[in-house]
Amino acid sequence: MSYQEKRTIVMIVTGVMVLAAYCIYAFGQVQAGMVAAGDLKYWARTMLIFIGIGIAATIVIQIIFHILLSITTAISKKIQDPNFDEKEIEKTIELEMVEDEMHKLIELKSTRISFFITGIGFVFGLLSLLLDYPAEVMLNIMFISASLGSLVEGFTQLYFYRRGIQNG
Amino acid sequence: MAKKIEITNNIRKLRFFANEMTQQELAEKAGVSRQTIIAVEAGKYSPSLELAFRIAEAFGVPIGEVFDYAVIKA
Repeated sequence: MSYQEKRTIVMIVTGVMVLAAYCIYAFGQVQAGMVAAGDLKYWARTMLIFIGIGIAATIVIQIIFHILLSITTAISKKIQDPNFDEKEIEKTIELEMVEDEMHKLIELKSTRISFFITGIGFVFGLLSLLLDYPAEVMLNIMFISASLGSLVEGFTQLYFYRRGIQNG
Repeated sequence: MAKKIEITNNIRKLRFFANEMTQQELAEKAGVSRQTIIAVEAGKYSPSLELAFRIAEAFGVPIGEVFDYAVIKA
């Protein structure tokens, strides 16, 4: 499995964890009767907190992932060839992390799908208002669709890495 | 309507004749990741013209010797 695939899987796992944590916390508070109907400040605060948590978790987990990847690459290279020096190990790690035109194309196509899902969520959010659902329903539809969009982006990237991608 | 074409390549054969050049070595010479070379070699990714020239340059052959195409019959 390539570096890009591993990194994508780590991003998907992080996204799932943050989304699950949001659902458990936010809807748990509602079920416990801690949130008054129409309390938009609660939803805005919770969503902003979880956006922050999502960004922080992504950064921390990516750092840990890169440290672990470097260690495992160095160990496996040392096992294969004990004479492998530090510079060669560094070069191998750098080469694994090269981002080229294929990766950019995959990123571009998967981001388009992510925006599409987020856009559908926006439309459904507006429709929920038209159908007289409370404003918090609209906010949640938008927030969850944006989160799902980024998850689908990850799965799409994995799909393209496995199946291949053609220009046009 | 334009006819569909399938791009094929001789990268595996050229690597063999280049003293069994590894995919990693070719990737380094072409300035891309090994995964991209694997995808190009397997026909899963059609490279840009620039990358196609860089791959040809890595083998020291004209681009036509690396890549070819076949018209797909409808």
